[in-house]
Amino acid sequence: MKDKILMIVFVLVLGTILTTALVAVNSYTAPIIEKNASIKMKSSILSALKIPYAEDEVERVFEDSVTMETAGEKTYYRSSGGILALPYEGSGLWGPISGVLAVTPDLTEITGITIMQQEETPGLGSRIAEAEYLDTFVGKVFNPVLTMLPPGKGVENDQVDSISGATMSSKAFVDILNAQYGEYRAVLEGE
Amino acid sequence: MAGPNTKSKTMTTLLDGLWRDHPIFSMLLGICSALAVSNKVENAIAMGAGVIFVMVATGIIISLLRKMIPRRARIITYMIVIASFVIIVDRFLKAFYPAISESIGPYVGLIITNCIIMGRAEAFYIQNNTGQSILDALANGISYTYTLGIIAVVREVLGFGTILGFRVMPDGWTNWVVMAMAPGAFFVLGLFIWITRTMAKMESD
Repeated sequence: MKDKILMIVFVLVLGTILTTALVAVNSYTAPIIEKNASIKMKSSILSALKIPYAEDEVERVFEDSVTMETAGEKTYYRSSGGILALPYEGSGLWGPISGVLAVTPDLTEITGITIMQQEETPGLGSRIAEAEYLDTFVGKVFNPVLTMLPPGKGVENDQVDSISGATMSSKAFVDILNAQYGEYRAVLEGE
Repeated sequence: MAGPNTKSKTMTTLLDGLWRDHPIFSMLLGICSALAVSNKVENAIAMGAGVIFVMVATGIIISLLRKMIPRRARIITYMIVIASFVIIVDRFLKAFYPAISESIGPYVGLIITNCIIMGRAEAFYIQNNTGQSILDALANGISYTYTLGIIAVVREVLGFGTILGFRVMPDGWTNWVVMAMAPGAFFVLGLFIWITRTMAKMESD
């Protein structure tokens, strides 16, 4: 009996000490972690809007050239040139995909696109996040959706190519863009 | 213990950890994370550093408390000590090295269940003084790290054509995608264990 009480007391005391240490570490790092997340979001928006920035100046450049706006429940961003940056997220083939889509003020032509997070197969599906692929979307037009075709077939301005060997991931990506674009369009044009 | 004895004990502790009782190829511990985090050298180094830190910290705490820990509460004591240090490492990476934290993501949390740390706590720290425990933690942690490093060099060169992000393969090189994925890790780790075990056998014959 005495052993059992001793055991419980020992675990409780040790647990309390370690928990206190963790609370201290957490309150020290939490603001830094939050700041990292917001910098990541801001740099993704700047990249989609094709606004050049230096690593350590993200916040300042963002303040100077981007304003945040809301419509309905949607939050989006507008550059000083009027280009809209629409954050999107949805399910990829294996995990969530999120990023920022930049379109012209009349909501038609894509001017830039970035991916912040994706968990597709390394070397195959993960190529959707490569600049080389994302650049093929620039200049394309939603009509009212983008159509995905096999590599090399997407010649019209509302058609995009899939990635050879990663058809499912590229399809999931374009589906997310179409769905989220539709939602933004509905709230923005309904205003 | 007298001088020479302590010295030879120190040597034994180091040699056991670094080669004779190598945690990965001899005891087959920590395989899960060794497979998962060895696709890039950068990740392997970060993971290794995390494991070394948690092992040394756990070794210090457990060996200091070894006379106080009730026999039947040993495992839960290891768990809460290891878990606390792992959370510290995780928060630290998230705050100061967000890029690395993102690429090794969930595996930092899994250091908690890395059997090398639990195994060494039960086999060594609970019975030995703090100095020896720190040595043992360093030896085993370094073993884990250099193994991950070797596997990661092979996988990164073949799977991405780079080492630490620098291009080492000629431009025409086709990446072996399989090396970047889980099966590649099994192949390379299997080869590593085969080679090192053959070497260890030759030594003992």
